[in-house]
Amino acid sequence: MTTTDHERWIDAAGAYVLDAMAPDEREQFEIHLVACTICSSEVDELRPAAQALPMASPPMAPPPVLKDRIMAEVEREAQLLAQAGPSADRPEPAPQRERRGRGWSLLGGWRLAPVAAALLIAGVLAGTAIDGTDTRRIDADVDAPGASARLEVSGEKATLVAENLPTPPEGRVYEVWIQPNGPDDTPPEPTNVLFVPRGDGSAEAAIPGSVSDMQQVIVTDEPPTGSDTPTGDAILSAQIS
Amino acid sequence: MGRDLLSLADEDVMHLVRRGDARAFEVIYDRHSPAAFSLAYRMMGTRAGAEDVTQEAFLSMWRSGARYDRARGSVRTWVLGIVHHRAIDALRRATVHDRRRASDEGIEERFEARERTDVEAARREEAGTVRHALQTLPADQSQVIELAYFGGFTHTEIADMLDAPVGTVKGRMRLGLKKMRAQLGEGQVAV
Repeated sequence: MTTTDHERWIDAAGAYVLDAMAPDEREQFEIHLVACTICSSEVDELRPAAQALPMASPPMAPPPVLKDRIMAEVEREAQLLAQAGPSADRPEPAPQRERRGRGWSLLGGWRLAPVAAALLIAGVLAGTAIDGTDTRRIDADVDAPGASARLEVSGEKATLVAENLPTPPEGRVYEVWIQPNGPDDTPPEPTNVLFVPRGDGSAEAAIPGSVSDMQQVIVTDEPPTGSDTPTGDAILSAQIS
Repeated sequence: MGRDLLSLADEDVMHLVRRGDARAFEVIYDRHSPAAFSLAYRMMGTRAGAEDVTQEAFLSMWRSGARYDRARGSVRTWVLGIVHHRAIDALRRATVHDRRRASDEGIEERFEARERTDVEAARREEAGTVRHALQTLPADQSQVIELAYFGGFTHTEIADMLDAPVGTVKGRMRLGLKKMRAQLGEGQVAV
């Protein structure tokens, strides 16, 4: 760390613990924090004050219907997790890949938990609403007899809906990949969407990102924590553009 | 719900949540959803917005229970941290105009939680201490802290809004938090 580097971040600790930095600036400050004991001790000092701020909110009771909605989803996913078997419920080493975007960096060591990823197992995102009036369908090629799958696209959002999908090989889950726009040989990029079909072979998964940025959505079988590059066979693919 | 589960400390309940135990998750929800919803409501300014943020946050916790690390703080701090992040994401997706309105007008509809237990009564007292610490700050310091934490504005947005240099805004945030920290340390708030 240089003096100049520290001078750049004087007074930054308050904005940091209040989460009042733009994402790029926060990332740069976190790099600085690793090397700067002055700033990191100031963050440690100020953070408890920021963490106490929620208590200044007027007390409000959440409506009972909110709990009903949340617990209905939790119960459903718990069942699916149980169906996914012990491989989904086993602690795994730290994954190589984290969720993109903001949010977790401020929590420091709370990294994407692998099992939590496995937890996404089983069409967890099935609750995504599809507006029938604005939805277009893109049929997918599925490499399994009797199985079918499609993308239901509403605006920029797509949901993968599959039927009669076979269970992935033992100890594997399905992972969704996105091939972004570009030349045909553009490599597919991993997503954090992992799933196994329900007992009847059905599954739904919300596809992250904007449809107009994608040329293809692909699903392969992968280890329970997902992969950064495909290691399994493609079970289906849907050509968007 | 078994009595055994209800008698467990949060950290031990989280151990069960990590294994996909829905009943354990319900315990965490029951214990922390009032504080979570209150924070979401304070930030979003509408009941619908608060419900969306609270739902997103709790489902995210359910799906990422293994990310809770007791060495880094209490379950309550973890829960509120996730709610705060989710609310900020939602606020920053909204237009500046909408955010200013929510931030300036505060809460119009309110259905306050009842205090039912000694624990909640103690929390109420702590809340009073935090509010007092915030209110006794110089106005220019509490203003930037509230705009940042509850309004979801970045320090550069706040500087624009107040027509003040960015360095001044950051300095007010730091000084205000430092004073709050000192006040809370003197009181009985578990920070």
